[in-house]
Amino acid sequence: MGALDYIWAGVLAVFLGPEAFSIFGLPISITVLMVLLGLAIGVVVGATPGLGQVIALAISLPILISIFGFNPDALLPVMGFMVGIMKGSTVGGAVPAILFNTPGTPDAYMTTLDGYPMTQRGEARRALRIAHVSSVSGDTFSDICLFVFAPFLAILVERYLDLPEKTALILLSLSFIAAIVGREPAKGLLAAALGLFFVYVGTGEEFYPRLSLGQPALSGGIPITAAVIGTLVIGSIFAELEKLWREQAYQGRINAVAQGPDARLSWADLRRLAPYISRSAMIGTGIGALPGIGSVLAATLGYTSGAARYRARKPKDAPAFGQGAPEGIAATEAANSSVAGANLIPVLSLGIPGNTAAVFLILAADSIGGFNPGPSVFRFTQDPNPELIIAFGLFTTMVIANLANWTFGGVLMRSMGAMTRVPKQHLLPVVLLLTFASLYVQDTSMSVLAFATFFGALGYGMLKLGITPLPFVIAFVLGRQLEDTARQAFSATGGDPFFLVSSPLAALFCAAGVAVVVLSMRRTP
Amino acid sequence: MRGVHPNTVLGLLCVAFGAGLFLLWIPMDTGSAYLVKQRGQLSLGDALAPGFAASLLALSGLLLLLGPKAADVKRLTTGHLRFLGVVLALVVASLLVMRWAGPLLASILAEEDYRVLRDTAPWKHIGFVAGGSLLVSGLIAVVERGWTWRAAAIGLGAALAIIALYDLPFDDLLLPPNGDV
Repeated sequence: MGALDYIWAGVLAVFLGPEAFSIFGLPISITVLMVLLGLAIGVVVGATPGLGQVIALAISLPILISIFGFNPDALLPVMGFMVGIMKGSTVGGAVPAILFNTPGTPDAYMTTLDGYPMTQRGEARRALRIAHVSSVSGDTFSDICLFVFAPFLAILVERYLDLPEKTALILLSLSFIAAIVGREPAKGLLAAALGLFFVYVGTGEEFYPRLSLGQPALSGGIPITAAVIGTLVIGSIFAELEKLWREQAYQGRINAVAQGPDARLSWADLRRLAPYISRSAMIGTGIGALPGIGSVLAATLGYTSGAARYRARKPKDAPAFGQGAPEGIAATEAANSSVAGANLIPVLSLGIPGNTAAVFLILAADSIGGFNPGPSVFRFTQDPNPELIIAFGLFTTMVIANLANWTFGGVLMRSMGAMTRVPKQHLLPVVLLLTFASLYVQDTSMSVLAFATFFGALGYGMLKLGITPLPFVIAFVLGRQLEDTARQAFSATGGDPFFLVSSPLAALFCAAGVAVVVLSMRRTP
Repeated sequence: MRGVHPNTVLGLLCVAFGAGLFLLWIPMDTGSAYLVKQRGQLSLGDALAPGFAASLLALSGLLLLLGPKAADVKRLTTGHLRFLGVVLALVVASLLVMRWAGPLLASILAEEDYRVLRDTAPWKHIGFVAGGSLLVSGLIAVVERGWTWRAAAIGLGAALAIIALYDLPFDDLLLPPNGDV
């Protein structure tokens, strides 16, 4: 099969896959339906402060697996739904920022700077339209880069990297994520070290499960879902509840400002915003392609770059950046949304998750089986390679989600104002119970809930100490792979103790890993 | 410890834990050493990967101890620990109620063992409704610093809604604690 055959097979796998129902004899693919459903739910959770894509992905994964089962036919509907959530929540995140000056996600903070002043001027609907167009444009650009670069990068990795280089590459990625995420590289390194430590508990090649203290509960290892969801979701629920407990005074009545008519964006508006959107989309995509660097930095850089351009061209009577400039919303939303697609480049080309959404895609693929995200997927063999067809099917779901986002995503987004009024102190405990139920239906053991609670407490402690949980989670996900690759590389090199520096490329990766940590330590905290 | 920079405390803990792991826990609790010779061939043992993690822990501790220290760094206060203690106690109590409410009621009111009844409504829902309601309403009460009927209603409603979400459409899904009993 050639490259075009594979692309077409991926498209067909989505549209002619398992059928949900038919309308006048026309089969409606369940994958397409799941993408659209995921997108709608994503917009809702994105627009609801306190929720977000991580919580939505964590809760939906076990439900989806229960519905679709553990067979390769489940991959595209499940991952399509997750893609929908990722894209919907990116768009929805701007709603509370613009309407109520409350960023639903940290990367939407910059959106509040110009979005909320526009709301106060009665231009909320226009601000939401600008946010929608910018967000979807950035996301689409980012996806195109993913489709083009991920396969090429994967082919390069497969062609030039052997086991020692792959081991060194995982080490480089871990040190990069640890050093770059958060304010203090030492804390990132600590998080990664803890992730590695916990993933090695109760595992190993020997009959005796290592570091298990002889406890049966630990001898099977720590369930990955309990560690990931506990640290990311339960930890942040505890932290949010604590913030509310401390504040005591809850969000008061929201002063409604009379809003103007739903002014559509004119071509002149779009032409004026286009340079800000395109510049921010490139910034966000470039940042998103690097593992571990989140959308907050992209939003900040996009906003700063947009502000510099705006200062030189600002009409006399136009509001400045930070005082309700539409260009400020465009620059921020295009930048933070364009991170999403590019963030999947490391996971699809290297098998290394660059963000939490990618972690959940790996969890889904791992749970269902039949697809191992990584460079080995992109093998264009004559005999059909099912993994490659799934990869192009995944790309197809992204295109569908983007098309849906362009068409009805904006309408959905503008109708989400009510979600921002749900009190967090009522919502978060319900989300916690839902998370427990989701974890249990997957593993059917109370010990999973105990593990999740433990990791929730750990995640809470990490957040309170200023330690970002992302390096922990990524180290936990990659830890086994790191050990397996290292074991194989050691054996393949005939027990060479210097296998990590025996080839120039592996040595370069190792040196780069050390250099990243050393250089980032010189950063002023 | 007042006056000591939080990174210093955290760094010391990391170095101590990393060293303890490296020198005591790993040697005493792993099935093979760092390197293993099997049939004349050298391979990596089970101790190497956790040993690497322990070294990284100790290294991060040293970097925290010796690196630059920001003035506005986040710190874990007794207030944080008190809140976490209350929440953990509530979660543990809720999970215990979830686990044992059904079997306990069955032992009092039913003639059969809970294990036989665990696929029959309302028995199979008793634990989840009791424990789930306690968890949700308890957390709302903690945050709002007072128990209200509204919190209780939200807790009960949430537990029933989750049962409707998982139990009604899917026959093969088990809600807590029915996979354990």
